[in-house]
Amino acid sequence: MNNQKPPYSELETKMKEAEELIHALRTQQVDAIVGERHIMLVRLKQAEENLKSSRNQLRALASYLLSARENERAVIARELHDEFGQGLTSLQLGLSWISRKLTPGQKPLQEKIRSLSATTTSLMRSVKSIASELRPSVLDELGLVKTLKSEAREFEGHTGIQCRFKTNTAKAKFDRSAAVAIFRIVQAALTNVARHAHASRALITLMKKKNELILTVMDNGKGISRKLIYGHDSLGITGMRERALALRGTFTLGGSRSKGTILTVQIPLSRVITGTAS
Amino acid sequence: MTKAGKREKRKYGKPGGKTYVFRLFVAGNESNSAQARVNLARICEEHIKGRYKIDAVDVLKDATAAHKNNVLVTPTLILIKPLPKVAVLGNLNDTRQVLAALRLTGDER
Repeated sequence: MNNQKPPYSELETKMKEAEELIHALRTQQVDAIVGERHIMLVRLKQAEENLKSSRNQLRALASYLLSARENERAVIARELHDEFGQGLTSLQLGLSWISRKLTPGQKPLQEKIRSLSATTTSLMRSVKSIASELRPSVLDELGLVKTLKSEAREFEGHTGIQCRFKTNTAKAKFDRSAAVAIFRIVQAALTNVARHAHASRALITLMKKKNELILTVMDNGKGISRKLIYGHDSLGITGMRERALALRGTFTLGGSRSKGTILTVQIPLSRVITGTAS
Repeated sequence: MTKAGKREKRKYGKPGGKTYVFRLFVAGNESNSAQARVNLARICEEHIKGRYKIDAVDVLKDATAAHKNNVLVTPTLILIKPLPKVAVLGNLNDTRQVLAALRLTGDER
């Protein structure tokens, strides 16, 4: 009688054992690995929990830093507007006063005053622009929707890239910090479109859908690589992701050469909208 | 015998059937090891009450036994008797799979 097992039988058993081992490891049902000389305790669940907790701490810190930065920006913007703005206005008025006092014979002085006055006007414009960049007053005055509309218009004006904005949230009243976060995400996304996308068209949408607010920024440019999306040095993208996550939202970015780039942020409505504007 | 009686017999096996000998390799009181101890005791009590013997080996105290039995990870349960030997890895939470692996399902008992 032939009792010999088929040659593949042992291999089959080994394969089965290996599969079982992999399954046990994958499902975290292993708590020690027995080596020749050492026994290594595997506290996967504990390690995972520690990792999750550290990640949450980092996220909380990032959120705090973002909000601290916004506050700091607001203070600097106010100081710039109040101190420099007023100072420059007084200077401008002073120059006009001197100009009026000059006689027609003091031509070189008149020229100098005119030149100083032009510099002052230019400085006033710069201060206004920097203050507005730091803390867009229009966001406080007009609200998120109108600010985004104006941002799209300005973007088109500066870059020549056709930019449209669509929304169904015109009557919604946004939470102040959420509005700042959404505005900053749009600003960063548009900066990326201008710098990297080689696009001729961009579209921003802000839509309320069921219990979520969905923001998308898309373009018809050259798309974006996975390396760039997940790269540690893509600070703009990391910033946008952190802002979305701080609002308990999700952030996705994708694209291809034929379809351009599409950024989507989904945020629970309860975190963003506080009511309806009258 | 009634249908229900037959089903009952299939479910619980004969009262004086084979004795089962297990060796359970654990790592102290680590969570999976502790779960495996509890699960094995429960399975034995429910399915082969009075016909089993469990020999628990703590690899942190006795690593040689683990080597001798080719145990690579804990928890590992080895069915020593009846032959053939069977090894089951993990915390034994999936009772159905454990019963199948230990040949404790249906008429096989």
